Amino acid sequence: MTELLTTALLLLGGGLMLIAAIGVVRMPDLLMRMHATTKAGTLGAALTVAAVAVHFAEAAVTARAAAIILFIVLTAPVAAHAIGRASYFAGVALWQGTTRDDLRGKYDADNHTLYSGLEGEEDPD
Amino acid sequence: MIPFAWNIILAVLWVMLTAELTVLNLLFGFVLGYLVLATVQSQVPALDGYAQWVPRLIGFLLFYLWEIVKANARVAYDVVRPQWGIQPGVVGVPLEASSDGEITVLANLITLTPGTLSLDVSSDRRVLYIHTMYIADEAAFCEEIKALERHVLGVMR
Amino acid sequence: MLGLAVDAVFAMICLALGLAFYRLAQGPRLPSRVVALELITSLVIGTVAVYAIKSGVEEFLDVAIVTGLLGFMATVGFARYIEKGGPRND
Repeated sequence: MTELLTTALLLLGGGLMLIAAIGVVRMPDLLMRMHATTKAGTLGAALTVAAVAVHFAEAAVTARAAAIILFIVLTAPVAAHAIGRASYFAGVALWQGTTRDDLRGKYDADNHTLYSGLEGEEDPD
Repeated sequence: MIPFAWNIILAVLWVMLTAELTVLNLLFGFVLGYLVLATVQSQVPALDGYAQWVPRLIGFLLFYLWEIVKANARVAYDVVRPQWGIQPGVVGVPLEASSDGEITVLANLITLTPGTLSLDVSSDRRVLYIHTMYIADEAAFCEEIKALERHVLGVMR
Repeated sequence: MLGLAVDAVFAMICLALGLAFYRLAQGPRLPSRVVALELITSLVIGTVAVYAIKSGVEEFLDVAIVTGLLGFMATVGFARYIEKGGPRND
């Protein structure tokens, strides 16, 4: 039973990591590559670490595995936000198939403020 | 958060009293603690609303897990298939969440849902800019984000 | 069965590492390379985890913790660098 669960988690994690790598190579622009790494890559690594926890079935290992999973799941979105924001300042072009870009022109290059486009209006909250 | 801490303490006490350290027993202790707290809820002001909060949290976790599974399958399929039906775009979604904590949790959850990636929050914290891979139906997309936001606010407020 | 799965996952990760290195070398610009590096960090965590199962040594998980920490720090540092300065000929 434990072995079956470990095997399933390992294969699922490995498959997701492979899909993330394929996505990173195939996707046409930076933001879409980040889709692949932040979700499939993170989830894949988390699942393999979960497989370790299931395999050893000890309190110490489980606690460490849980800490790793929590850490990578919490940091991946932050890292993605940081790179995505930086890419706008560096002027990285989006794929030509991108149909809409609300963020273009909203950054102030000098003081790094991001405008919402709602400045003049009343805040409903 | 304080009632939740009490519930954990009760669960740990139950495990210590029964002297059986297993996940199942801890879970059972948690359920017992929840029932106790729900019973005394009307007497203790600090516990107000806790009995309703736990089902909301569980409902949210199930909802979110299902979203992840659904959307991961969709993105995995789109990455692998030869001709993709991806239509990406960056959308600014107006926020109802107001505090920093709520926005952080919402943005992180949006990023972890495949197909959407939260890029940045405007400096006045009123608009969240999201990159999505499927913009074809804009109204439906906004509705999805709003549904997630309602769940998050239901748990955090 | 588990041994077979471990070998299969090793093969998958090797392939994934190759693809990530292709993106790292290809670019086209610095942010894409940073994304490739981030993916390589995740893959290394996966490798360490699988190796811990193969060898039966649970202490390898500590390596995964350190790798995760370092990867996050490096990514945030790179993002800061791209956003705030440095010559623009990446």
